[in-house]
Amino acid sequence: MRTLALLLAVLAWPAQGAWQWSAPLTVNSVQGAAIFPHLESANRRGVAVSGDTVGVVWEDNRSGSPQCYLATKSAAAANFQQEIRLSQSDCYEPVVIALGAGRFVAAWEEAGKVHARVLPGGATLKLSDIEAAQITLAADGDTIYAAWAEQAGRFRRIVVARLMLKADALDVKTVQPVEAAMPSDEQGWPALALAGDGSVTVAWEDRRNRHTVPMVSHSPDGSGFAAPERLTDHMSGSVDGLGAGTGAMRPALAAWGEQGIAAVWLDKRDFLSGYDVYAAFDTGTRRFGKNVGVQDSFGDNMAQWHALIVGAADGSLVALWDDARDGTPDVWLSDWEGEAFGDNVAVPGGQGQVSNPIRWRRSMLQARCMWCGWIAMRQPARASVMHAPSGSDCWS
Amino acid sequence: MKKYLLWIGLLFAAATAWADPPPGYPFVDYNAGLAAARASGKPIFLYFGRYGCAWCDHTNKKTFSDPALKKLYSDHYVLVYVDSESGRRVTLPSGERITEAELGVRLNAFATPLFVYLTPAGEKIVQIPGFKTVQDFRDYDRYVRGGHYKQQTLLEFLGGKS
Repeated sequence: MRTLALLLAVLAWPAQGAWQWSAPLTVNSVQGAAIFPHLESANRRGVAVSGDTVGVVWEDNRSGSPQCYLATKSAAAANFQQEIRLSQSDCYEPVVIALGAGRFVAAWEEAGKVHARVLPGGATLKLSDIEAAQITLAADGDTIYAAWAEQAGRFRRIVVARLMLKADALDVKTVQPVEAAMPSDEQGWPALALAGDGSVTVAWEDRRNRHTVPMVSHSPDGSGFAAPERLTDHMSGSVDGLGAGTGAMRPALAAWGEQGIAAVWLDKRDFLSGYDVYAAFDTGTRRFGKNVGVQDSFGDNMAQWHALIVGAADGSLVALWDDARDGTPDVWLSDWEGEAFGDNVAVPGGQGQVSNPIRWRRSMLQARCMWCGWIAMRQPARASVMHAPSGSDCWS
Repeated sequence: MKKYLLWIGLLFAAATAWADPPPGYPFVDYNAGLAAARASGKPIFLYFGRYGCAWCDHTNKKTFSDPALKKLYSDHYVLVYVDSESGRRVTLPSGERITEAELGVRLNAFATPLFVYLTPAGEKIVQIPGFKTVQDFRDYDRYVRGGHYKQQTLLEFLGGKS
């Protein structure tokens, strides 16, 4: 029996040893029985590291209405500083990216329009004049892109904007829909990634086929987008004239390797076990290949939620999500091992009543350095983050 | 008030254009349904569907097409339709605002259709996944409106018949 236990421990070592996490840090300073923090956002960009400062954005209802907040913590500080409020009216689904040297760009939906702001110090810029939501951001140096879902007639469609940065001010350089034609059904939840060659990839969920399908498009420089293609290689349709196909939703993207883009999404092709996490890869050809299942066989028979993907320039890649295989909705991750995703590993601080992982990963040097955030849902609910490796070198 | 109700109606009409509730039933969205249930004291029948879902379509055509079932459920329940992949926002009885898709996470909705019976206060009584017959829905109605859920599980009430 002891031999078996030792063997199991040795077998488990590579997966457990790969990620040594810091202690979790609480981000939201105001908690209470009826205060509900949320990390939900398009492409799950809720945490970013800029210089020696980590920033986290979320929404909660402490003021009696949903408002968006940013909290930061420097490497030297033990805890997060008290958060600043980003919004004045009802606010949802904030995202944040790093500009370097402790500066950030945050974006959010407020009063039915999308907004962005440089922090600290900048003024809020309204990005849409008509109804818009589900904004996300991506940046490479001073090149910043935003994508959101904007009302166009009866449905929403995906719009991509290139933003200019001058000191602490943002301006819109270009803004255009991915497709010029009016949408024939709903589009939403865009994800953005900038590849090493400067090209822009945008993915979103799309109902033009009368069921939800993740679509993707590319642009070499953000000035014009290719015709959308499906991310899913599973071509479902109606069954005996019933329905229109299985569902797949909430795509997430990450730059990966020198030129690549990786995508994950929730996919119900195996409709009896809930959504599974599927992935696809664009190695630089600007075409995504065959789909790969992410969760291992222990997670196959249950629903996965809140999937995201984190890539690095050295080609390393990790997918995160939450599922309840251990009886509570814990955060799980899996490393890409070249041919398939590896064993699923629970994120240790994220055990219990948790949900909604978010992430940031250093892209250049410390490829295995990652921050992960989540909501501990047991009342009073807390937004927490931690990083791996657990040492103090997990900064940009 | 009339103007408010008209707006709710228009918003839901826009929403149902890309969702799949059974036709002809007075389904409303989650927030309107919760408010209506509190006001009327009727239990809530929540249909958790998915855009393009074949089994939902099958249930609509095979089961919800029954006129007597339509009358039974329209008369005695507040009918709520939730789109399992939608970003539309709902306010839970706790006051928390989440999306319809996130409601699926909270319900651990692994398949659609999923039928959830709620008290007028929005507390869950029972949830039942998959295709069901007219007789099944009649049995569930007796279980819920008869108050049997207070003493028995659904399986106990049905005598082992699922």
